[in-house]
Amino acid sequence: MVGEEAIMDPAGLKAIGAGLAVGLTGLASGIAEKDIGAAAIGAMAENEGLFGKGLILTVIPETIVIFGLVVALLIS
Amino acid sequence: MRLFQRLRNKSSSATSSGGSNYAYVTARVRAMKSNLLPKETYSRLMNMDLDEITRFIGETQYKQDVDELARKFKGVDLIEHALNRNLAVTFSKLIDISEGELNYLITEYLKNYDIWDIKTILRGKYYNATLEEIKDNLVSAGQLKYNFLSELAEKESYEHVIDTLSNTDYYPILKNYDGTNLPEIENQLDKLYYQRLFNAIGTPKSSDRKLFSKLIRTEIDIKNIKTMFRMKKEGVEDGELEDLVLDGGLRLSLKEINSLVPLPFADFINSLEKYPYWDAISDFASPDMESLVDLETSLTKYSIKSAASFSHEYPLSIVPIMDYMINKKNEVNNLRIIIRGKAVNLDDEIIRNQLVI
Repeated sequence: MVGEEAIMDPAGLKAIGAGLAVGLTGLASGIAEKDIGAAAIGAMAENEGLFGKGLILTVIPETIVIFGLVVALLIS
Repeated sequence: MRLFQRLRNKSSSATSSGGSNYAYVTARVRAMKSNLLPKETYSRLMNMDLDEITRFIGETQYKQDVDELARKFKGVDLIEHALNRNLAVTFSKLIDISEGELNYLITEYLKNYDIWDIKTILRGKYYNATLEEIKDNLVSAGQLKYNFLSELAEKESYEHVIDTLSNTDYYPILKNYDGTNLPEIENQLDKLYYQRLFNAIGTPKSSDRKLFSKLIRTEIDIKNIKTMFRMKKEGVEDGELEDLVLDGGLRLSLKEINSLVPLPFADFINSLEKYPYWDAISDFASPDMESLVDLETSLTKYSIKSAASFSHEYPLSIVPIMDYMINKKNEVNNLRIIIRGKAVNLDDEIIRNQLVI
């Protein structure tokens, strides 16, 4: 009985794993986008035509969190 | 937990000294650099007459400055003031948009404009220049604002100017000015500037700081070489020359300069061969050279080129910003050379030789 109680529910572990996958990759994307976003705004302040390029480059690190999301979906 | 605490300490210390926004400023500066006039423009400008040039400049990034000053000035003076104002506004913008350590470094670097303005005013007073002539040459890109500087220029004598500056860092040097020793005071101001700049850089640890220091020290070397050539050409006594050169050069230490100075002109040129600056001067330096213009232009080109190559090494540092500042200043200088040259009907060939392209 005691041994059985010590084992955690596999569904709970999966949920934690999925949460970590999304949460940590979200943080990572945020850190990566910080400087790119600042740089994009800086370039845009001087030349408005750079808006499109700036936007695209800024969201490229978003792929990291998308991978995290995919992993989270695969786990759960 | 300890890691978390360390992170917290780190972030709080970063905010107290102010984190630098390198990404924002360098990207913005690169965009600003794309607004500089391309090289081909200068040859086009050379084929225009003065009115066309004035109109052309009024249509570029200097438009706003030309429009705003058009009520007060006209013709060549208008353009000259517009160029100076644009330079001042652009550089002040760099100070405004940067934060933390970057802001500190840019501010220290731009203090050479404060020194330039103080020198201009003192020189103007010394030679009894008119108020307009003095104001023509003021560039308020540093800490001293244009209104303050024009008030300084309006003072009756140099004593009043120096009294007004009594709460600045330059006062200890300026107070020794007795109306005759202007060159000495100017050199001391220059030396103070570099000393302060080196203090600001400190002992460079990170590679981008090392590069910044290298750039400044190259600048000093080039200044020293120019000074040496000028003084050698004019046959100035050795003793005086030593007071004029700046300490802290990258390749040319004070000791080496001291050994170069007493040499005869031909030997002096030969002994420069072992320095990297030789490539820039070898075509123009000869014992019987008549004018130093070509040589100085070539040296200035060298410093622009070295700044450009450094700026690619560390994209997120102060170096690309320095590169922009050097190029912007050069553009303004070139435009001024063309306008002033055309205004006094100088030969096209002479103007072209002066341009640093």
